[in-house]
Amino acid sequence: MRKLHSYISLVGMFLLYCGSPLSIQSQSLIDTLHLAEFEVKSNYVLDNQGFKRVKLDSVTLLPHLNADLSTILTEYSTIFIKSYGNATLSTPSFRGTTAQHTQVEWNGINLNSPMLGQIDLSQVQVAQFDKIEILYGAAGLALTSGAFGGVINLVTVPDWNNRLNVMASQTIGSFDNYVTNLFVVTGSRKFQSHTKFNYLSGLNDFPYTDYQGNVVYQPNASFKQYGFTQEVFWQWKDHHMISAKVWYGRSNRNLPSIVEVYNPDYHEKQEDNTLRAVLEYKYVQRGYNLMVHSSLSDQFMHYSSPIVDARHQVYTWTNRARFTYNRIKKLTMKPGLDFSYDWAISEDYSGLKTRATTSFYAEIIYEISPAVKSSLIVREELIDGKFMPVLGTLGVEYRPFRKENFALTANALRNYRFPTLNELYWKISGNPDLDPESDLGGEIGSTYNRTTTNRNFFFEVTMSGYTTWIRNMIVWIPVKDNSSIWRPENVSQVFARGIEAGLNIRWEISGFHLGFKNNYSWCRSTYEKTTAENDRKLGKQLIYTPVNTFNSMVSIERWKFYLRYNFMFIGDRFTSPNNLSYMPAYNLSNIILGKSINLNNICLNLQVEVKNLFDLNYQSIASRPMPGINYAFTLKISFNRESKL
Amino acid sequence: MKLFTNSSNIFPLLPSIVAFTCLIVSCSKEPIRETPVIPDPTDSTPVATTYEHGVFVVNEGNFNWGNASVTFIDNSGNNAIQDIYKKANDRSLGDVAQSMTVIGTKGYIVVNNSNRVEVVNLKDFKSVKSIDGFSSPRYFEAVDANKAYVTNLQHNISIINLTTNVVSGVIKTTSWTESLIHYKDYMYVTSVGSFSEPNSNRRAQIYVISTKEDRIIDSIQTGKEPLGMVIDKKEKLWVLCTGGYDNFEAPSLVRINPELKMIEKAYVFPAGQGVPSKLCINPTGDTLYFLNGGVFQMPVTSAGLPSQPFISSNGRLFYGLAIHPKNGTIYVSDAIDYVQNGRVLKYSATIGSKLAEYQAGRIPGSFSFTDSGKK
Repeated sequence: MRKLHSYISLVGMFLLYCGSPLSIQSQSLIDTLHLAEFEVKSNYVLDNQGFKRVKLDSVTLLPHLNADLSTILTEYSTIFIKSYGNATLSTPSFRGTTAQHTQVEWNGINLNSPMLGQIDLSQVQVAQFDKIEILYGAAGLALTSGAFGGVINLVTVPDWNNRLNVMASQTIGSFDNYVTNLFVVTGSRKFQSHTKFNYLSGLNDFPYTDYQGNVVYQPNASFKQYGFTQEVFWQWKDHHMISAKVWYGRSNRNLPSIVEVYNPDYHEKQEDNTLRAVLEYKYVQRGYNLMVHSSLSDQFMHYSSPIVDARHQVYTWTNRARFTYNRIKKLTMKPGLDFSYDWAISEDYSGLKTRATTSFYAEIIYEISPAVKSSLIVREELIDGKFMPVLGTLGVEYRPFRKENFALTANALRNYRFPTLNELYWKISGNPDLDPESDLGGEIGSTYNRTTTNRNFFFEVTMSGYTTWIRNMIVWIPVKDNSSIWRPENVSQVFARGIEAGLNIRWEISGFHLGFKNNYSWCRSTYEKTTAENDRKLGKQLIYTPVNTFNSMVSIERWKFYLRYNFMFIGDRFTSPNNLSYMPAYNLSNIILGKSINLNNICLNLQVEVKNLFDLNYQSIASRPMPGINYAFTLKISFNRESKL
Repeated sequence: MKLFTNSSNIFPLLPSIVAFTCLIVSCSKEPIRETPVIPDPTDSTPVATTYEHGVFVVNEGNFNWGNASVTFIDNSGNNAIQDIYKKANDRSLGDVAQSMTVIGTKGYIVVNNSNRVEVVNLKDFKSVKSIDGFSSPRYFEAVDANKAYVTNLQHNISIINLTTNVVSGVIKTTSWTESLIHYKDYMYVTSVGSFSEPNSNRRAQIYVISTKEDRIIDSIQTGKEPLGMVIDKKEKLWVLCTGGYDNFEAPSLVRINPELKMIEKAYVFPAGQGVPSKLCINPTGDTLYFLNGGVFQMPVTSAGLPSQPFISSNGRLFYGLAIHPKNGTIYVSDAIDYVQNGRVLKYSATIGSKLAEYQAGRIPGSFSFTDSGKK
């Protein structure tokens, strides 16, 4: 009831913010008409001032509207997803770091829980955003601190040409899994409104083979989830833009046990209610602009099992202001100020816990010569009245050839992660004396892309190498002489280094549109400090961190048919820090075949997906079964009307 | 609008598509499951034909990782064989193996989070039966040749029919019951209190159960969290109370007269100096052992608690402790960091010198001996 009250007050605040709810959605998300006419657009951002940024556009996301974020990242990036099963907990980590070093933002709101410091990607549906931008390593400092691996930035963008776009889609999948999506996107050249609704449910009782070779149906894995989003974008007198976005999500799920638990009465379940609201104002003038943004996030979680019943409630209020000034030749300055406040109410804390974070931010982009650009980001945080070490990164980009899209980049970084609320305040175990984790990193890279003169062939390649040194890493370890209590301590050191390579080709030939996207990652991430006498993990690979990861996508489109083949290779993952046991590597293949039919403004789309095509009997995490071959059928109807330009 | 022109044909691309498809189809048909690195450089490579003479190390494994296992050290002391349950039965033992009890030619392994007791033949460690129907089982103790009790984290004490290997009944409790010890016609069972309650609300006691009636007939109140129990040569019952996982009160060691069901003497540990655990006794019943960082030794006649360890931990994380029931050798496990594979160390009973060290599985927590003093 406290919850309901909080929602009402938040919705009230939102209405005060923005008046009547009307908004926008990019047509590309909902209009399959445009799928065949794929844009020649690079994924790897070329003008990057030394930082690696990778974009996944709406064309890539379109056939995956019924999926969650973990699916997309597994298929199109080398971010490693620790998946505990179909539609259950999935956490991301990249560049040899952990899930707590990966931040996920949606339209400027950090989705990571301030309590846990991480996010469950199974709760973020692709339908909630239009584009993904992956900011690797140092690039993430532009948005937030603590993301040693990087930031996954999810954004929605308005399409001012849209007048009315209505879409309804229904997916029916194996194991009684269903996904419904409804979009209404309408507006004018000045105003766009997005209304989105999605509903997912599943019995999720997929069969798997147990150790004795018997077929067992995954018990206690059903779920229900829905999300409602309203977004409004308003351009006013050419210089002002106001947007407001609200996303309410509710999820109820049973949590399956590992295969070795044989207790039919043992039911774990989790309920999550989340509300996120953000109001943003931009003022744009020649030579300068201003952005201010204020958001509220309300996360409620209720976990229950026969022996534990825990409720956690966190509110976060975040404010961000950025001023951009570029009237001085070759120089752009972006000072900024962030302020956020967390309130956490949990039965596992003694009383209310709060945290106030003020962050002073400055970014300076300077064009040293037409070929060399540099960027300096400095961030200073004040947490609960205490100044943290200064963070910063310096990036340089060099484009040696005027006529070629080729860039060499380098950056160096100092970052830190402040402890999570659980690490500080968990009852009995929390350690309020924890220091922040620190990270020193460096990266070099190159990007090249080229389009043939007749524009029917495009390719791009990217290559980067990085190192990252994490010191004071927080690990939960047993308290000396009382091993029943575990306490987080700054005891670990990790050295991660790796190489990432990407190749992206698009080709139009004989009316066929062909696409070929590849990502490869090699990552060594090792323990550099031991904590006990007999500890044998020094120099060994971090658990659940694959050395090799590769994925590839081949797409073919013709006559409004489209075929997409996704291939993923996940290398061996060690399961013990001394590297004495491991989960073997595996290959996974998924296929999507679809057909669009256009009747005036109406588009009908039918799509068939086959997942785990070769019926691989695998586990990603030990003792957590994954489904074998499975299918999904999607029927989508959309109506689209654009302005006549 | 078309961004591309139709200028060439598709065929130049075919070889790469074919090569790509070949790469994909070459995936193996073996199920992808957790696998030990072979050869394990720290594991000796013996072939034991039988497990009838030796020491079993019960490795709890990590909660919810499904990696519990049993390591076998044969009586020659030269060999440690890892994960003998999986080797014999081609499946994982389960999640969180709490304890193992040897009765005659069979071993009863209590697998806590799997909610099972796995019954194995000691000869080959092949599974005889998986007993279901517990509420997070903890320890197993035989009453006679036909009956045993199993303590549970919740609800009750299970009664096992040893002939049919099924749960034949329960003794209702409302609390988490832990160790059991058989004394005459009684089973003494430590009870921590309700698992879901904080320590302030938990009632810590020893239940006295009539093994003839399968009924709680009496109880003795103790300090918080009475976890370990032994009986000495004078038939006194010793109970080690941790004081609570949250250091609710100072830990204590109490001596109980099992006939009078009364506490005769209580030794209170100094507060803030660690939490003692794993109470054991030597074969002659005159010396107690427990862990508190290092291994402590205490004669049953001692007037006070020992202040110095008999064996110091030297930076190791001592987690499990057992005394060989025949020769009194001390077995200690080192859980290291609770995530990597642990170690077992063997020390002499007389001077506490290290005799041997073995590789074990994840979180070696308890031991079981085939050469049991009893049967």
